[in-house]
Amino acid sequence: MHIDWFVFLAQIFNFLLLMYLLKRFLYGRIIKAMDDREAKITARFAEAEDLKVKANEEAELYEKRNRMLHEKKEIMLNEATMAADAKRKELMDQVRRDVDAVKARWQDMLVREQDAFFYDLRQRAAKQLYATARKALADLADVELEDRIVDEFIRRVKELDEEKSVQIRKAISGGGNKVVIQSAFGIAEPKQAQIEEALKKQITNGFTIRYLREPDIVSGIELRVNGNKIAWSLNEYLETLVESLTETLQREAHAA
Amino acid sequence: MEIVPLGQISPDQVILWSWGFVTINATILYTWLVMAILVGGSILVTRNLSSEINASRWQHFLEVIISVVRGEIGEMTRKGADHYIPLIGTLFLFICTSNVLAVVPGYVAPTSSMTTTAALATCVFIAVPYYGISRNGVFHYVKEYFQPNFIFFPFHVMGELSRTLALTVRLFGNIMSHEKVIGILLAVTPFLFPVVMQILGLLIGVIQAYIFAILSMVYIASALSAEDEVHHNVDINKEGVSA
Repeated sequence: MHIDWFVFLAQIFNFLLLMYLLKRFLYGRIIKAMDDREAKITARFAEAEDLKVKANEEAELYEKRNRMLHEKKEIMLNEATMAADAKRKELMDQVRRDVDAVKARWQDMLVREQDAFFYDLRQRAAKQLYATARKALADLADVELEDRIVDEFIRRVKELDEEKSVQIRKAISGGGNKVVIQSAFGIAEPKQAQIEEALKKQITNGFTIRYLREPDIVSGIELRVNGNKIAWSLNEYLETLVESLTETLQREAHAA
Repeated sequence: MEIVPLGQISPDQVILWSWGFVTINATILYTWLVMAILVGGSILVTRNLSSEINASRWQHFLEVIISVVRGEIGEMTRKGADHYIPLIGTLFLFICTSNVLAVVPGYVAPTSSMTTTAALATCVFIAVPYYGISRNGVFHYVKEYFQPNFIFFPFHVMGELSRTLALTVRLFGNIMSHEKVIGILLAVTPFLFPVVMQILGLLIGVIQAYIFAILSMVYIASALSAEDEVHHNVDINKEGVSA
């Protein structure tokens, strides 16, 4: 157990020297580097935390904006849908009105065509009926029938009521005291006298009678004076017949 | 079989140069070698230190060692660990390096010389009152020697001296005896067994370095604890007044 005192002191000196050198070249530097790194990491964490907070705030902001946009989109979509519905309804109404108008025009046209058709039919039927009836009456016509027609005419004159008589009287006086009697056949003298007598007796004196033949008055006789008329002819019966026929045809057409 | 005297194993006996009182022996030479390795390595590694995450492997290696030392000191002192790192860290690094280099053939650990371990223990012996007085003041430090009463003063002084002696002898005994065991084993079983013992020697060397450093810190911490108690009592009194 020998201790060399010089070596002992030298070792103490060596140790203190080593302590100084290591403090200078090792501990100070290493600890500074470690502390710096720690500070940097802490700063980075703090920065990361800040960024995270900011990112969260941004995310919330964008989420909010997104939600608002979504809501706005929904509203706009609803508005657009409503507008489209309204426009569609308007267009549908317009189309319906147009269609109704076209339909109405078409129906009018149809009615007019129908009317024209029935008018034409009536005309043709009447003409045909006239022709047939006229032919039949012409075939049947004889003096006796014509006398009977004149008799019927005279009876009607005689049966005129007071009001009608006054009316015709005024018409005769207003028409220059001229009376025109038209007939489909020639009236014999005695019958002309009877007519004149009946008129003078029922209505007035002081007028002249002129007799005209008018084949269109089917088997009839009529007195015309200034817009007033006393008549009997088959025309009335024929017109009634044609009216009846027209109605029947129209009913048939509607039923179809 | 020749028995080698203990004195011949010690590197103190290998005198390289002598001039009167001044003697340069193997202990000093190997101490300088260890110092050169430590200081040179430190300069090399800390030359390009990086405070970024991407540091060199050697820097990480040194940082791990410093962190461990710092942590150990911190556990005992609770605050101001960096103040004690130069002493405790240097003790650990020097002893550890000295012991680990023993695997190199021809090298004799300076710590196997009682002169070296006595010098280190003396440093600790001086450091304890130095740190104690610098933190608590002379009065508080000296007062500790008379606790719980003045009769205990000689025991405190004996305790200081004996633990310094214990530090000296523990390290010297372990390292020297290990080298002696290796020497004996080489003579008895020259093949595989000494290698196993060398590996065991590395473990013992590191453990001894750790023990030396930790005990030194414990001694310093015990000198510092008086101050903590003073502050603790003051805090309690303050709380009592405020309550």
